[in-house]
Amino acid sequence: MEASERADEFIPAGLASLGIEADEVELAVMNAAHGMFWPAILDLLSLDTTDVVPERNPDLSRAPQ
Amino acid sequence: MSALDLSLREQAAAIAKGDADPGELLDEALARIEQRNPAINAVVETFPERSREMLAAAPPGPLHGVPIVVKDEWPLPWRAQRFGAAELLAPTAPAESGPYRALRDAGATIVGVGNMHELGAGSTGNVSVYGPARNPWDTERCPGGSSSGPAAAVAARLVAGAVGADGLGSVRFPAAYCGLTGLKPTFDRSAMAGHHMAATTTLIVSGPLCPDAADCRLLGSALFGESLAAGDAAGLRIGVIRDPVSEDVAPEVREACEAAIEALRAETGGEVREVSLPDLPAATLAAILLINGESLGGVTPERLNRLNPEVSPIARGFIKYRALLPASAIVQAGRIRTLMRRRLAALLEEVDVLAWPTIPAVAPPLESPLVELPSGTHTADQANVRGAALANLTGIPSISVPVGLGAGELPIALQLGAAWGRDELLLDAAEALERANGRRWVEALPPLARAETETAEA
Repeated sequence: MEASERADEFIPAGLASLGIEADEVELAVMNAAHGMFWPAILDLLSLDTTDVVPERNPDLSRAPQ
Repeated sequence: MSALDLSLREQAAAIAKGDADPGELLDEALARIEQRNPAINAVVETFPERSREMLAAAPPGPLHGVPIVVKDEWPLPWRAQRFGAAELLAPTAPAESGPYRALRDAGATIVGVGNMHELGAGSTGNVSVYGPARNPWDTERCPGGSSSGPAAAVAARLVAGAVGADGLGSVRFPAAYCGLTGLKPTFDRSAMAGHHMAATTTLIVSGPLCPDAADCRLLGSALFGESLAAGDAAGLRIGVIRDPVSEDVAPEVREACEAAIEALRAETGGEVREVSLPDLPAATLAAILLINGESLGGVTPERLNRLNPEVSPIARGFIKYRALLPASAIVQAGRIRTLMRRRLAALLEEVDVLAWPTIPAVAPPLESPLVELPSGTHTADQANVRGAALANLTGIPSISVPVGLGAGELPIALQLGAAWGRDELLLDAAEALERANGRRWVEALPPLARAETETAEA
């Protein structure tokens, strides 16, 4: 199945499923945000990170162990 | 010339020697805020009696009697932070925050609260519940964000030092737009207590904004609670990444930054190496996802339905969009963080610092914060975040240093990043760069500050 980037499906469905209300202006902003971020999020999710062993309790003040 | 026009360290030294009266300095700072602030909206609140009480009780510390501005991101004992917004998503109340305690214990006087981009969610500073802050170099231009007010206040010489916060570049962008030096410390090294996300953030740090690196060292030492000793950047190994972050920038920015890198190499007797750091766009998005996810901690859908209508429509829309971000993307962002931390650790064995432009173009207009790059027209936020997010994602320190003036006499800045805990090296390198260019750019004054200084000198 092709991933959908269509804001007119994703945003109303997401808002409805969480019970979040949004007015027209907020929806316009969300549509713009979706257009900007969603393709990049799909790209991010498509990166193969199976070989990346997660840091356990990472200490961000230091180099990784 | 007013003592207020001295550097932070010169002000502190003059007070310590008895050559300057801290009470008079405070009065001068308050008067200058009244005089210059209406043009830039950098300081959103002063509290002269509280400042005088703070001064009266000030210990003989390294910043004794020196006036400082603090971003509207931390509470003070007499004032809750507003985060530049009509409403925060977290409860706030007046309190002794970490930066407040650090400044108090160093003997400093908090003279005012600095404006900021609404909810910290912008690199321009043109949106705030207090109205936009303005850039002292051109008051129709963005001062940068989110620490807009602290930067504009220092650039206009209302004070010589200010405390900002950096979660995705929020110290470095305004430092760059306003021609200042701004340090994003190693994660968890500077005072953060009292911030409404202190317990949950893995990206945000407090940091100093000052005219130059030596002042950042002094103010940073207070925020770190330890002396940031001056060292030597001799033989500096400078890594340059050939990536859109360093190449998709305005020609004048590229030219100034390349000249600065060469000047830094020559000054330190070091070397420049081209290095590779793949997946930078993924790292940028990972940082954006993580900070947006962390900011929603404890926020219910019902709470989102009760957002204050005075929060800007853009912020309301973005906050609600955050609630729809898939958990799988947040988890993937964590893995990208691990990947980039490991790659950076290896890279920072080969070089001492990474260098690239802090901002890809000079400060855009307040009314339309767009930038023209070789790849086309972008919002300033989209373009700016590419160069800043890596440091927040991985925890490394990073510094923005002024390296020139571009079109319209607007500042250009170079960013240097180093390994975890090597904040001192960044300050050393910034000082070497200042020496290399004869301190020309750190001593350049914007028109708002220049006119009066020239009049006084004449």
